[in-house]
Amino acid sequence: MPEKYSHPAVTIGTGPGTPCIPTPITLSVEPTSDEALMTAVRADHLDQLVPLFERYHGPLFNYLTRLTNDRETGEDLTQTVFERILKYRSSYQPTQPFKAWVYQMARNVHADHWHRLQKQRADDVDEVERTGGLRTAAFSQQRTSSSHDDLHEALALLPAPQREILVLHRFQGFSYDEIGQLLSCTAEAARVKAHRALQALRKIYFA
Amino acid sequence: MKLSEFSTCSELESLLPAYAESSLPTAEAERVVAHLPGCPACQQQLRELRALSADFDAALPEVPGTALRHNFMAMLEQQKQQLKPEAAFGGPAAPVAEQPAAKVISMWPTALASNWVRIAASIVLVAAGVFLGRQLPWSSQPGNTVATTAPATGQAAPATLAAALSGDSGHAVSASSRIALVTNSTKTAEPDDATVQVLLNTLNFDPNPNVRLAACEALYRLRDAPGVREGLANSLPIQTDPNVQIALIDMVVSLRVHRAVPQLQRLAKRPDALPVVRAQAEAGIGKLI
Repeated sequence: MPEKYSHPAVTIGTGPGTPCIPTPITLSVEPTSDEALMTAVRADHLDQLVPLFERYHGPLFNYLTRLTNDRETGEDLTQTVFERILKYRSSYQPTQPFKAWVYQMARNVHADHWHRLQKQRADDVDEVERTGGLRTAAFSQQRTSSSHDDLHEALALLPAPQREILVLHRFQGFSYDEIGQLLSCTAEAARVKAHRALQALRKIYFA
Repeated sequence: MKLSEFSTCSELESLLPAYAESSLPTAEAERVVAHLPGCPACQQQLRELRALSADFDAALPEVPGTALRHNFMAMLEQQKQQLKPEAAFGGPAAPVAEQPAAKVISMWPTALASNWVRIAASIVLVAAGVFLGRQLPWSSQPGNTVATTAPATGQAAPATLAAALSGDSGHAVSASSRIALVTNSTKTAEPDDATVQVLLNTLNFDPNPNVRLAACEALYRLRDAPGVREGLANSLPIQTDPNVQIALIDMVVSLRVHRAVPQLQRLAKRPDALPVVRAQAEAGIGKLI
């Protein structure tokens, strides 16, 4: 009985381009698209998560590190994101872009972390985040130019929502459309928010 | 002249980021171009935005430590091990394959009338619900169900009420019965000091927060009776449930109980109170002072 059921999963995994890949026609042409890989993972071919890890763990780590201003937390939360991908793989819909799905998950992981942190320290979390940002900016690895450190330090001083939008747009290569989808607002609203955030950052950076 | 120029500059502040990344529509870009030569402040802003943008482009991504990959691989291996014994999980593969083609096909013939039938059916259901609600006995006499479960009805004297609430008369009284008792206690013609006292005791010491909330509301209805205001204020430090805390704060504020201010101040500083409760207390102090 188990033999019988595990068989289709293996078929999918060995040949991502085979016709049984249940991705939309446009995607199935590209044999190693994120969506095809994730669909295979969903069908319990867990090894297909490795290429997705290679593609996404760096960006996700950067995103979460910037959001939390802490490398170690960034690593922990990235690990949590991949744990949740596996845990909730059956909720992935092959028609939805994997990137949007995984970043939504990363946002939720960060939100959960934030709430935990808030519970832990009943004191003013904003204050912790702000001052913590300055101190933990020192954690970052040595860089060739010190101006990058200044940039990250200034970013750390922005309120989290503004920081997030700039990180998504400038570091993660998100279009305003994609940001709008992630934050449930229009692309135009995302653009306006990003520009406001940039102006706020400029004032901190050149203060 | 000066004033209009200033408003243009502040207006420009929202356009400059788009201008700097060359994503501004032509008409607006032309306005920026026309404004810039005469305005050193905006020129400076534009320079800063471009420098910032260049720094963004030059910034190196953070490189995660090797532990991340190691942990991921370990986690993946563990998950694969877990999966092996229960290979029945492979089942979803088949339904997945059909998903993109899946389509909702109604079992009912899509006759023109079907929508009207559905609407008519829902109207009949709602009407039947209203009819039953009016006809069945419980809606007309709210005290009835309590009378069967608890020894005293709403019109009980304070002494009986206290006994009923605490379950002295033999068996424990359920929380919903206690709520009904508390709610009904204020419906008597002349609530006296003893009723207030019983309600205050319930507010302060009943183990169930919903019963305490009901007592809180009952006391609010008796707000003109002596001792109620003071009792509400004194109850503030005793409560630990956020719902009761917020209800109490709202009441002392709307009743303008000035002597509650010190209690509110203490509550606003209590480390074990939820942030929302502390904020509410803070706001309450502002309204009372």
